[in-house]
Amino acid sequence: MASKPDEQDAISAEAQVSPLIEDGQTGPAPAERPGHLAALRVIFQEERFFLILSVFIGVFSGLAVVCFRFSIDWCRIYLLGTGTQLSPARLFLAPTLAGLVIAVLVIHVFPLARGSGVNQTKAALYIFNGYIPFRTAVGKFITSALAIGSGFSLGPEDPSLQIGACIASAIGSRMKLSRDRMRLIAPVGAAAGLAAAFNAPISAVLFVIEEVIGRWTAGILGSVVLSAISSVVVTRWFLGSESMFRIPPVEMRRPSELIAYAVLGIIGGVASVAFAGGITYLRPRFKAMAPWTHYVQPAVAGLLIGLIGYLGAPQVMGAGYEYMDEAIHGQFTWQFLAILAGLKILATLLSFVSGTPGGMFAPTLFIGAMLGAAVGGAEHAILPHIAFSPGTYALVGMGVLFAGFLRAPMTSVFMVLEVSGNYSIILPVIVANTFAYVIARALQPAAIFDVLTRQDGLELPSMEEQREENVLRVEDAMRPPGNTLVNGDDSVEHLARLIEATDGDALLVRLKPLGWSNVSREEINAWLEEGKASEPVGSLLPVGSMFKDRQVPSLHPDHPLDMSLRYVDRWKIVPVVNRANLRELEGVITQRDVLDRYRDFGGE
Amino acid sequence: MFEPQGRVHGPLYFHREVVTLTLLTGLAAVLFIGVTALSQLYHAQQGALADRWAARGTSDLNAGRFMQAAGDFRTALRYSRDSYSSELGLAEALIGEKRIPEAETYLIALWEQQPENGVVNRSLARIAAGKGDTRNALRYYHNAIYAHWTGDPERERRSTRWELIKYLLSTKATAPAQSELISLAAEVGDDPAQQVEMGRYFLKVQDGDHALTAFRLRLQGSPHDAEALAGAGTAAFEMGNYELAEGYLRSAINEAPGDRDSAALLETTEQVLRLDPFRRQISDAERDQAVEGAFEVAGGRLKSCLAAANSQQTAEAPETLEQAWDKLKPQVTDRSLRRNQDIVNQSMNLAFAIEREAGTRCGAGTPADAALLLISKLHEGS
Repeated sequence: MASKPDEQDAISAEAQVSPLIEDGQTGPAPAERPGHLAALRVIFQEERFFLILSVFIGVFSGLAVVCFRFSIDWCRIYLLGTGTQLSPARLFLAPTLAGLVIAVLVIHVFPLARGSGVNQTKAALYIFNGYIPFRTAVGKFITSALAIGSGFSLGPEDPSLQIGACIASAIGSRMKLSRDRMRLIAPVGAAAGLAAAFNAPISAVLFVIEEVIGRWTAGILGSVVLSAISSVVVTRWFLGSESMFRIPPVEMRRPSELIAYAVLGIIGGVASVAFAGGITYLRPRFKAMAPWTHYVQPAVAGLLIGLIGYLGAPQVMGAGYEYMDEAIHGQFTWQFLAILAGLKILATLLSFVSGTPGGMFAPTLFIGAMLGAAVGGAEHAILPHIAFSPGTYALVGMGVLFAGFLRAPMTSVFMVLEVSGNYSIILPVIVANTFAYVIARALQPAAIFDVLTRQDGLELPSMEEQREENVLRVEDAMRPPGNTLVNGDDSVEHLARLIEATDGDALLVRLKPLGWSNVSREEINAWLEEGKASEPVGSLLPVGSMFKDRQVPSLHPDHPLDMSLRYVDRWKIVPVVNRANLRELEGVITQRDVLDRYRDFGGE
Repeated sequence: MFEPQGRVHGPLYFHREVVTLTLLTGLAAVLFIGVTALSQLYHAQQGALADRWAARGTSDLNAGRFMQAAGDFRTALRYSRDSYSSELGLAEALIGEKRIPEAETYLIALWEQQPENGVVNRSLARIAAGKGDTRNALRYYHNAIYAHWTGDPERERRSTRWELIKYLLSTKATAPAQSELISLAAEVGDDPAQQVEMGRYFLKVQDGDHALTAFRLRLQGSPHDAEALAGAGTAAFEMGNYELAEGYLRSAINEAPGDRDSAALLETTEQVLRLDPFRRQISDAERDQAVEGAFEVAGGRLKSCLAAANSQQTAEAPETLEQAWDKLKPQVTDRSLRRNQDIVNQSMNLAFAIEREAGTRCGAGTPADAALLLISKLHEGS
């Protein structure tokens, strides 16, 4: 039904204003339509419930991690003894026998407990819809506590992360959460587990976002933060709130001292590559060995680690936090620190590639601390005028290895700040980490977690690649409107002439004050046949609520191109307007433009 | 809990949510209680292990087995990471092992936790003093003096101040050392047991007045204390009070006949008293005798020094002094001296000049020569 031009003015401005697509939104939400109110309520209720659930996940994960810590310490006391001077019998027997037990448990009872736990959590997110069998948590708890407690060079953080994820998954399964929520619940638990293990909620949140989920969204961030904080509160309740390490404030006498830290970053980057390269090379070879060898691989690894301890470096056994503290307090010469870093790489390689469950975080920090203090000590020996504090270099070294080996650059910075409670160290950390990350990235393109998943035959998204991949935007595909743009007061006859001159099937109509619509070639021909050639096209468009179906939403140039796909199928020409001036048309985009751009991008 | 959208029922939904949260809360409470019990067990064991290893460390430290002590304290710290006493014990063991930089790192960390801790401040002061870092040594010593001490704080503070004084004297900072000694004297009060040490250090900073007071306090309780008598004599000697010095020194030698230092000092004192014509309350005859004696001593000194100088083919000045001495010699008689006061002054001035010059060129002379120099210092300004 046609309406007069003056009637067009009567169309409410609200109806004429073209809906603008806000970032991350999809234009008119389905929930706004009648019949979807109940669904909307469900979404809100589930979201609220999910947040509350996150707190419980944090509490349960915190409790589990506290018990895990107790178990590790008890294992160490009963297997290796209470003193720092270990008897040779214990040095050899404890890790060897524990290795045999662990092998049997991992092969026959808890096959999913193998590995560090980070990739398993990612797999749960991307492959198993957030589901991780609770048995995995039990297995991880027992085998990792036994391994770390008996002296294997592994850490409790990654297992804690996986235990947290398992607990979250178990709770989510019981609650029969929707599939989307179930997928997200494992990372929420992972953040809680890691935060409890590290006593560092910010680093845990960042790590999970950076390495597991790979994207920042408000919905998941709230849950991750809540679970991390609640788990840390529980952990601190039982284990105290002291920072993991205490170092004096850093005093930079001259900005040129940053060069010394840059050197540490370079050496740390190379060490990270060597460490990761060792795992990349050895792990598939150990896995490919005859099946019976899998029963003895952890035992042999344990025996060799015991030998390292017997030969004078028992510091490499276990997680080694107390020795990191000693390195921070300058208890070792720089030469011995360098040896410890090398031996720890060896011990961790043996522990990890033999399939013993346990984490990589603590060994990474250990190697970094020793390497950092060694490099600092060597620099000071060569250039005595350089201010040297072993604690500072050890701490920066931890960040360096974290950035270079685990490839979590942002987490590496915050982790160092959080575990030391010292923010004066930030500048050296950023400088050194940047060098380490860039060198590690250049020398070994795939991050260690990506390598491990590919070795396991899984194809999980690489967070590092995701971070660095180019995102196509609307501005990459849009084109100038040219003669496809008409105004609402242009006559049908004018439109007919324009559309004849183009090869398109539709024209974009600008309506006052801010509305946009499409008019197709068929519509124009129909109006011509009805004798409406001289009438303004705006008057021929429907009014009121019916206009909503004809209203074309507008995009902005910086919107991701993916977003435009939702509209170019329904509307033939979609306007792209300026964010600062919604009346200013910057271009138009069609389905053809989008597809052409994607095709070209694939070629690039 | 959350079902597909088509099967949603509002009230039922809400009801289940509440039930679920209640169940979770209950479960959390139960687990919390369980972990609390485990935690108590864990912490009790850790505490016991920490105490056992710390006790072993203390025992090793006291026995001077520093290496073992360091290992024990490290183990104790493994079980009680924040134990201040174990960390301090470790630092002390490391100091014992002469691993000073490592100990210093721990001590600085401890100082940051408790800047008012006396032991930590004193240890840091010793390390700074050992490194020749005077500024920090003084800072930490002063911190330690006013710090918190366990056990007998006054005794610890006094002993720290003693250390500071000794350190200051080792750096030749006598004025600050004297100030610290005066403060220490106020803290020590009349305690006779410490007066001899106090007096001896006052003598080192050349504060004869306070030294004499300290020795006298000691002598009030023990009048026959040879060391105090000798100290008091020395202090009086330093102050130029030779009559008093003579008395104390004589008593000291009576009490300890083998005290050669006091005997030497007494001899010099006696010479001062014999050769000083400017003393009050002496007769003219005694004065003339003192002038003549001083002039003769100076003459003897001049001749012996000139002989030595001639053998080295140096010293023109003694020859001039010799001429002056020869010229004045005939006038130094009882009669001339009594008639003309100027001759007294000329004789003594020449004697002082000879002694100073000879002291410079020929080194120390006899006690009588030393006595003349002391007399010159005592009276030349007036």
